[in-house]
Amino acid sequence: MPTEIEKRDTYYESIIKQGYSRRDFLKFSTYMAAFMGLESTMVGQIAESLEKTPRIPIIWEHYQECTCCSESFIRSNHPIVADIILDKISLDYTLTLMAASGHQAEAAKKAVMDKYKGEYILCVEGSIPLGDDGNYCCIAGKSAKETFLEAAAGAKAIIAWGSCASNGCVQAAKPNPTGATPIHKIVKNKPIIRVPGCPPIGEVMAGVIMHVVAFGRLPQLDRLGRPKAFYGKRVHDTCYRRPYYDAGLFAETFDDQNSKNGYCLYKVGCKGPMTYNSCGTIKWNNGVSYPIQSGHGCIGCSEENFWDNGPFYERTTKIPGFAVESNADTVGKVAAGVIVGGIALHAVGATISKRKELSDNIKRAKSNEKNIDL
Amino acid sequence: MANRIVVDPITRIEGHLRIEAEIKDGVIVDAFSSSTMVRGIESIVKGRDPRDVWAFVQRTCGVCTTVHALTSVRAVEDALGIAVPPNAEMVRNIMEGALYMHDHTVHFYHLHALDWVDIVNALKADPKKTSEIAQSISNWPKSSPGYFSDVQNRVQKFVESGQLGIFANGYWGHPQMKLPAEVNLLAVAHYLEALEWQKEIVKVHTIFGGKNPHPNYLVGGMACAINSDGAGGLNAERLAYVGKLLKDGKDFIDQVYIPDLLAIASFYKDWGAIGKGFGNYMSYGDFPTNGYADMSGFKFPSGIILNGDLSKVLDVDHRNSEEIEEFVNNSWYDDYAEGKDKGRHPWEGETNIKYSGPKPPYDFLNVEEKYSFIKTPRWKGLPMEVGPLARLLVGYGRGNKEIQDAVNGALAHLNVPVDALFSTLGRTAARGIETQLVANWTLEFYDTLMNNIKNGDERMANMDSWEPSSWPAEAKGVGFMEAPRGALAHWITIKDQKTENYQLVVPSTWNASPRDPKGQRSAYEAALIGTPVANPELPLEIIRTIHSFDPCLACAVH
Amino acid sequence: METRNFKRVFVWELPVRIFHWVNVLCVIVLSLSGFLIANPPALISSAEATNLHSFGIVRFIHFAAAYIFFFNMILRVYWSFVGNKFASWRAFWPFSKKTWSNFKHVLKIDVLLFNEKVHDEKNISIGHNSVAILSYLLLFIVALVSVFTGFALYADTANWWLPKLFAWVTPLFGGDFMVRSIHHIAMWVFILFTLVHVYLVFYHDWLEGRGEVSSMFGGYKFVQEDRLRKAAKAEEAEEKSNKYK
Ligand code: HEM
Ligand code: HEM
Ligand code: NFV
Ligand code: SF4
Ligand code: SF4
Ligand code: F3S
Ligand SMILES: [Mg+2]
Repeated sequence: MPTEIEKRDTYYESIIKQGYSRRDFLKFSTYMAAFMGLESTMVGQIAESLEKTPRIPIIWEHYQECTCCSESFIRSNHPIVADIILDKISLDYTLTLMAASGHQAEAAKKAVMDKYKGEYILCVEGSIPLGDDGNYCCIAGKSAKETFLEAAAGAKAIIAWGSCASNGCVQAAKPNPTGATPIHKIVKNKPIIRVPGCPPIGEVMAGVIMHVVAFGRLPQLDRLGRPKAFYGKRVHDTCYRRPYYDAGLFAETFDDQNSKNGYCLYKVGCKGPMTYNSCGTIKWNNGVSYPIQSGHGCIGCSEENFWDNGPFYERTTKIPGFAVESNADTVGKVAAGVIVGGIALHAVGATISKRKELSDNIKRAKSNEKNIDL
Repeated sequence: MANRIVVDPITRIEGHLRIEAEIKDGVIVDAFSSSTMVRGIESIVKGRDPRDVWAFVQRTCGVCTTVHALTSVRAVEDALGIAVPPNAEMVRNIMEGALYMHDHTVHFYHLHALDWVDIVNALKADPKKTSEIAQSISNWPKSSPGYFSDVQNRVQKFVESGQLGIFANGYWGHPQMKLPAEVNLLAVAHYLEALEWQKEIVKVHTIFGGKNPHPNYLVGGMACAINSDGAGGLNAERLAYVGKLLKDGKDFIDQVYIPDLLAIASFYKDWGAIGKGFGNYMSYGDFPTNGYADMSGFKFPSGIILNGDLSKVLDVDHRNSEEIEEFVNNSWYDDYAEGKDKGRHPWEGETNIKYSGPKPPYDFLNVEEKYSFIKTPRWKGLPMEVGPLARLLVGYGRGNKEIQDAVNGALAHLNVPVDALFSTLGRTAARGIETQLVANWTLEFYDTLMNNIKNGDERMANMDSWEPSSWPAEAKGVGFMEAPRGALAHWITIKDQKTENYQLVVPSTWNASPRDPKGQRSAYEAALIGTPVANPELPLEIIRTIHSFDPCLACAVH
Repeated sequence: METRNFKRVFVWELPVRIFHWVNVLCVIVLSLSGFLIANPPALISSAEATNLHSFGIVRFIHFAAAYIFFFNMILRVYWSFVGNKFASWRAFWPFSKKTWSNFKHVLKIDVLLFNEKVHDEKNISIGHNSVAILSYLLLFIVALVSVFTGFALYADTANWWLPKLFAWVTPLFGGDFMVRSIHHIAMWVFILFTLVHVYLVFYHDWLEGRGEVSSMFGGYKFVQEDRLRKAAKAEEAEEKSNKYK
């Protein structure tokens, strides 16, 4: 395997061979330097431009995920993502969009981690499998856990994108075959902004980043580490179908007259009453709609364990710790039945076993009755 | 001696893909494709309510979001004998069409283009000449010299900032970069435009499914009720919105994507002879126009082509245990009880993760043993390539006029023979050609939907078999479709109202899998053989061929 | 034939009785409205949402009852410091030798239905028996759970500081899902308690004939005269011994 140095040489040689002018080369070197740590040896003369206040460097890691969070991010309308990545931040590492692959990609990340130690923001999309020594997710031959710890060490703050990084999401649903773990359980000594949702709303993601860029500080978080600005209210408390809920007008099933009328979806399983998210206010894809507006209940995608909190189409309460299908009312009814049965047995048992005591009592009562003097 | 190089991570794809290639005399002589991330979604849905499963499996992938949801509801509907109302069928078609438009366009500009387009070189372009080129190939209004010089200035400023972000360490100046500076600038401008455009077309999903990524589906139809005279459901305003989005989407594809594709391809015709692979192609067919049960009404026909022989198209049967089988001989799962070299039909499939690769950190995989989390699917024991190219070739072979015209048109434009389709360039071109077809069809589906409503049919879901108490004690079903990356199917068995077994065999599973017990390579590995590599340190050629498949590894493994 | 001479004894003071029946009423109202909240019935109405507020009313009733339930409980806790010995917190103290032996006795005689060889009236409790103590303690904890989870659910929409005091409960359980589930399950514990409790109250009344049921209305139970006499003597003796010390 060739060393880093050899690699670089080859790289620069090939640029010159391509007929770039010296001027191009210098311009080119400026950013190459930033990413390959060459400023002292090769491009000292253009260090000035590097002195400029840099855009906030971002390393965006991908672990056990479906990339929907990246997809959602690029859906942001305000600001649009081209403006974010060209003008606001420096998105220096993300498997989804970066031009470089393999060694070149890893070198870019390393350069940022060295140069901007303590300054870059680490974004994490996906959970980290701790099962089987972390073998279930490897990148460039390293386990996700290892790369995460490396990148977290020099990060100023960490953003946990989506339900995967915040809560484990679908792969952490029972039986969690890979030991998928949200990142706050792995790193405790860094500020972590949790931005749950499957995925989070694009504008919310952009909003979190813009908060850091525009105000120069992390957003205020609630007790679960979520930005208050976006997770302060339940979907239900901002839902435009709320008047139907208060009126008691519900869709009884899908596509019935009530659902056509836009009645509340509570009875077909809407989890809006337990779900903190901005869907009712910011809505999705530049305010076009949100699940409930399009006729489907909220499945609670920004809540911890939403996959295991009971079926999506029922208004049931799941018993914590019980098998998937048991719900509190079923267990309650069974328990009540058992108790009523027990009471009946007890009553019969008491009648038999206490008959002597009772008949004594009654005898006594009868004789007392006789003795009553009127 | 062959030299083993490793490209990990392969970027600008979905998921975690690692390629190890043996290079001899500047040409790849052997290759190994591996995915190094697993989640176990098939085990997670076991025991769940079949009506909920679409939401779980949809999270297989957020790039081809919706396809697993659709396939899942189709599988459950197949098992329970549910036919969805025509409106729901059309809404599903429209959503799928919108996904094609989005996914393929994003793939072209944001995932694939940087293999062919030199961003830094665009700084040398003359904006006036770029404008002339742009206007000569398209009517797209944003084409003035001023527009291109603005874009150029913006890139210039960006480069001078010293922070290159996602463009850092790219393959700029690589000898394989062949576009003139002006075409590079054109592509860079459209890279940015497409980034802005893509967030529009997905609003179709938002209207019908409430959000994108991961819109909502429903067993039996769709949840977005129609109420043409009410505020509570799909009404004229909502539907007009969809119509506009589809129309605008089509304009961008016709006037930007396709002209750019043809312009760029014309400089890379040599890639019409690279990356062929084994030449077997499979399509399940999709876009029903007369109900999912009537495959003759599908816009994309189903079928199989062997060894590039377009004159004969074979049939495929998902239910036949002799046809589709999955092997785990080279995959990190427990071997099947009946033996390492035996395959299983997905209805009998199992997923018992068991990693046996090297302990990280590692430099190389041990390719003599199991080396990937992807299973290996085979059709009658043969490897199949799936995807846009397979779809078009099957359509071509089946004599579908519309598809033949579209393909012949593009070939004529590029002035290349039909053989050039069996290649890296062919895959990339096929993706564009079908995007244009699908964009047209999607407008047809939209018209059908509107007509149906006009004629008084406002049904959107068939809830007759919604209640689990109405289901048989045991049932099994298969749902299939053509996802953007190719043939996708889910197999479900239901017992006592619960999901008893669930297996996904995904397009990228077909293409990216490790080799089978007979040692036959799957599509990625086969296509890489013979690919020239100018500089093993800069694996541009490898990622070109790999990107031509539009890899999705979260899909492939799940 | 032996006759037993029973004397009227004042056991449940008025505040205890008021607490009890207010509590019963609240639990019934909370459970009924709780069921409706958890699983609302289909409404047969063509009214527009603007003119209908039925579900809001159910929830209002639930919240109003919840407040009454909560303050009623606080008053009862207060009374356990100022009320008579049957109401005192000491009567609920489960860790004394006396409670423990009474517990074993109740378990043997009333639950497992053995018969006593020698009848010792001392074993018959005047206030709560020891098993009942445990059930009331359990109920107290469940009431706290209902209050904490209920107000936690309420906190994010409340304007008043009181419910907001409970906002920290939600993150403890990772979110509203679990909080709501626990709240719902707590309701079932109330229902199960009531079944057993009411049965046992009637059982004791029937078996012992000391006016158990009516005691929660009038406040009086009946205690054998010689037991009272013995108790009075013991008290006297104690006073004397105190004097000479
Ligand atoms: C201080 C006491 C209580 C407070 C503050 C309280 C508050 C609440 C709140 C806020 C809700 C949620 C309603 C909504 O989201 O609209 C609720 C639901 C409910 N409450 Fe209470 N509650 C209290 C006591 C009780 C008690 C004592 C019971 C039963 C004995 C009870 C039974 C229920 C039930 C069954 C639900 C429905 C839960 C579900 O959705 O499954 N609550 N309560
Ligand atoms: C929701 C239903 C009920 C609840 C939650 C409940 C709760 C309680 C509690 C907490 C006590 C202890 C009182 C104290 O020391 O402050 C108690 C005692 C008592 N309750 Fe109830 N009760 C219920 C229904 C009833 C009913 C229906 C009756 C009679 C018909 C009844 C009769 C009594 C009696 C007689 C006592 C005194 C028992 C003893 O001597 O230990 N209760 N109950
Ligand atoms: N392979 C794959 Fe997918 C697609 N298209 C799904 O079935 O990408 Ni995520
Ligand atoms: S949070 Fe949901 S949407 Fe985002 S990566 Fe995870 S599974 Fe995908
Ligand atoms: S639809 Fe859901 S979120 Fe909206 S009011 Fe009804 S229950 Fe609440
Ligand atoms: S499912 Fe998720 S998208 Fe919003 S409405 Fe519910 S939080
Ligand atoms: Mg599978």
